[in-house]
Amino acid sequence: MEERGRRFLSSILLYSSADFRRGEIGVPLKRYKKYVSLLMFTAPAFLLYAVFLLIPTLGGMFYSFTDWNGLNKSYHFVGFANFAEALGEDSDFVHSLWFTLKYVVFMVVLQNAIALLLAVLIETRTRSKGFFRTVFFMPNMISIIISSFMWTFVFTQVLPQIAEKTALAFLDQSWIGNPSVSFYSILIVSLWNGVGYMLIIYLAALQGVPQHLKEAAVIDGASPFQRFLHVTVPMITHAITICFFLTLNGAFKVFEVVYGLTGGGPGRSTQVITLNIYEEAFSNNFRYGYASAKSVILFVMILIITFIQISVMKKREVEA
Amino acid sequence: MTIRKTTSFFVLLFLLAAAIIAVFPIYMAVLNSFKTQEEMFRSVLALPSRLHWENYSQAFHKIHMLNSTVNTVTISAIGIGGILFTASLAGYKLSRTGGKLSNAIFFLFVASMLVPFHSIMIPLSRMAKNLSVQGSTYGLALIYIGLGVNMAIFLYHGFVKSIPRELEESAQMDGCNEFQSFFRIIFPLLLPITVTIAILDFLWIWNDFLLPLLMLTDVDRYTLILSTNMLFGEYNKEWSLILAALVLTAIPVVVIYAFFQKFIMEGITEGAVKG
Repeated sequence: MEERGRRFLSSILLYSSADFRRGEIGVPLKRYKKYVSLLMFTAPAFLLYAVFLLIPTLGGMFYSFTDWNGLNKSYHFVGFANFAEALGEDSDFVHSLWFTLKYVVFMVVLQNAIALLLAVLIETRTRSKGFFRTVFFMPNMISIIISSFMWTFVFTQVLPQIAEKTALAFLDQSWIGNPSVSFYSILIVSLWNGVGYMLIIYLAALQGVPQHLKEAAVIDGASPFQRFLHVTVPMITHAITICFFLTLNGAFKVFEVVYGLTGGGPGRSTQVITLNIYEEAFSNNFRYGYASAKSVILFVMILIITFIQISVMKKREVEA
Repeated sequence: MTIRKTTSFFVLLFLLAAAIIAVFPIYMAVLNSFKTQEEMFRSVLALPSRLHWENYSQAFHKIHMLNSTVNTVTISAIGIGGILFTASLAGYKLSRTGGKLSNAIFFLFVASMLVPFHSIMIPLSRMAKNLSVQGSTYGLALIYIGLGVNMAIFLYHGFVKSIPRELEESAQMDGCNEFQSFFRIIFPLLLPITVTIAILDFLWIWNDFLLPLLMLTDVDRYTLILSTNMLFGEYNKEWSLILAALVLTAIPVVVIYAFFQKFIMEGITEGAVKG
């Protein structure tokens, strides 16, 4: 026992010495052991990760440069032809890109504005704070696809009937059938479902704003709006940045709401990028390489956003 | 003072109006799920003449409620358990080990967090077909582990840094091997981040739609959401039946929300700030 303890102590000393970590001294067996234990701890996670995420990612990129149909053994490299076709000739795909972009802009602005407004107002309540937080977050618990089925009922049955019986005639819209209206239906359901999530993050950030700063601003005669703009906002920039990119990232990947509400229709007028990829890959024409190229385009778009996000965050951290 | 009171009153009024909008679709769904089709067409807003529970028993039967729930619970439990187990091991070791190999592995995990699911769904479903795990409940759970470990490892990796190394070193001096010292000393200390990860992954897996849609072909294996989706497609205009199914599908999450609200909200804030 004594001996064992001493051996451990000396090995710890050895491990912590910089020379050992650089690999200059130390027994090869020890380093070998270190790798074995590293591999043993990481292997279960890495194996599943490699099979279901890493290899599919790389495989998809590879096939995006081919004309593989997903069935044959053989395929040819076609260079950037798939990408050129998707962005140049495929008017449905280009339309879905623009439609998604429009959706992203609306979502990022509205989701954050509404969540922040509600958070600030809830923060002023004392007794009802918990109640409102619970109510506004609840829609977020219900899965998006279930939410969009619920709203389909509201759009097709409830609102037309209310419009008929009351003076609120504007409620009688073709909420699902008319593409220019159903864009807003999609937006409404997304906001209804998503605002709660951002609200929680904003509320947590608002609670971190020190009370004495707000009080000092009151004494200095700042109006509530000035207090919000010059005291609260600078204190919660971190949360604003996070929510901004969460909504940005999420909005680009929108799928369920559109699938559940309009299915991309009528025709393909409300199709988003993900739905276009889904259709290309799983319903019609076995163009595996082409569908992969579309997936890569989505990936690159997300990648660009993320790099912008990281650089913005880094900059903020330096300033702070 | 009076100005303050009137503003406060209007703020309350505004919040209540917003709360009504938030609750309205849920209220409509619940209310009308107890009506017959004719009652609904007469008035969606009126109370039902009596509670038509038969909508629920019919929906319960049509979405194979028991079976679907068991499937969803199985997938979530294996998925979350697997993620917690494998990711805590890997995250801990990667955080403790220096060197190029360790950094490279960690980088691979973190970089993959950027890959949107929709970009890999095509090769992933091929992979599942090739490994013949497509259509299998357990296969789907394994895929969730593969897709979920990256974020969990990232969160564990950060958390482990706050745990002093002396703890496992002294445990190993007392004769524990590496795995023992991990499971007996370290893993219990990871509880706060484990709860966060479990909650985030539960919300993800339980509410996920697209992956089960791609993977599960057999109705007997369907998750709750898939069964409801199928019902929605099949009984397009039978709203009383569909609404009852929607309410049934939403009930488990709402119950869990009621019990774990505090943890869920903390989990989301944690996950957002760290992620």
